[in-house]
Amino acid sequence: MAKVAREMVERSGVDVEKLLELLIKNAAAELTTYYYYTILRANLIGLEGESLKEIAEVARIEDRNHFEALVPRIYELGGKLPDNMKEFHDMSACPPANLPENLTVEEILKVLVEAERCAVRGYTQICNMTAGKDHRTYDLALAILNEEIEHESWFSEFLGEGPSGHFMRRGETSPFVSKFLK
Amino acid sequence: MRKFTREELKEFNGKNGKPAYIAYRGKVYDVSHSFLWKGGRHQALHEAGEDLTEGLKEAPHGEEFILKFPVVGILESSTDLEGR
Repeated sequence: MAKVAREMVERSGVDVEKLLELLIKNAAAELTTYYYYTILRANLIGLEGESLKEIAEVARIEDRNHFEALVPRIYELGGKLPDNMKEFHDMSACPPANLPENLTVEEILKVLVEAERCAVRGYTQICNMTAGKDHRTYDLALAILNEEIEHESWFSEFLGEGPSGHFMRRGETSPFVSKFLK
Repeated sequence: MRKFTREELKEFNGKNGKPAYIAYRGKVYDVSHSFLWKGGRHQALHEAGEDLTEGLKEAPHGEEFILKFPVVGILESSTDLEGR
């Protein structure tokens, strides 16, 4: 644990135990989403599905990166991940991104976009809680939020909700979060 | 429809097998079966058995996330009853 770093956050008025619970729940959401996206990606098949497979894969890899980036901050602040994987799964900040019963590309896209929207809400909340107080957690949550917003816009575009406004990744992943992974 | 006082509502905190109820704008909703209310706790910040009318204003989502749950009663003494 980084004692002084935690003390600075406490002194700024942030409830560190609540913040840690949120960080752990969102870390659980990232790792479980990585798992569920593996199944969703595998089921994006056919002419329509194949074109989305690579996009789902980028979102999947970046969600795993988010988990990797969150873990050090959790331990710095004195938190820990649960020993039990099932417990970790069940405390996720977002519901499981299960394969839909009606296995169409559109239904899979709806699952993907809802998962991303849950993440956008979660990191917005962490940003709101830490802005101007816990600079390091804010910087991390903002970097993740940037990527989650892009994921949402990609899937939203394919659902006919309007243009995402940007291009796909070009051979790299996590342009915002990568600085926390080095 | 059952009427709940704020004290009675607190009993439905989702812990030890109890149902998880929350109040919003005068109505009481059953969130027991929601993944996001496991153990009567929501996102580290809210507990079941509470009136979330004020709390929702700080949340990163709108009331549509509450209105989808089944209504199980009315919160007595609420001055902000939706649809009254």
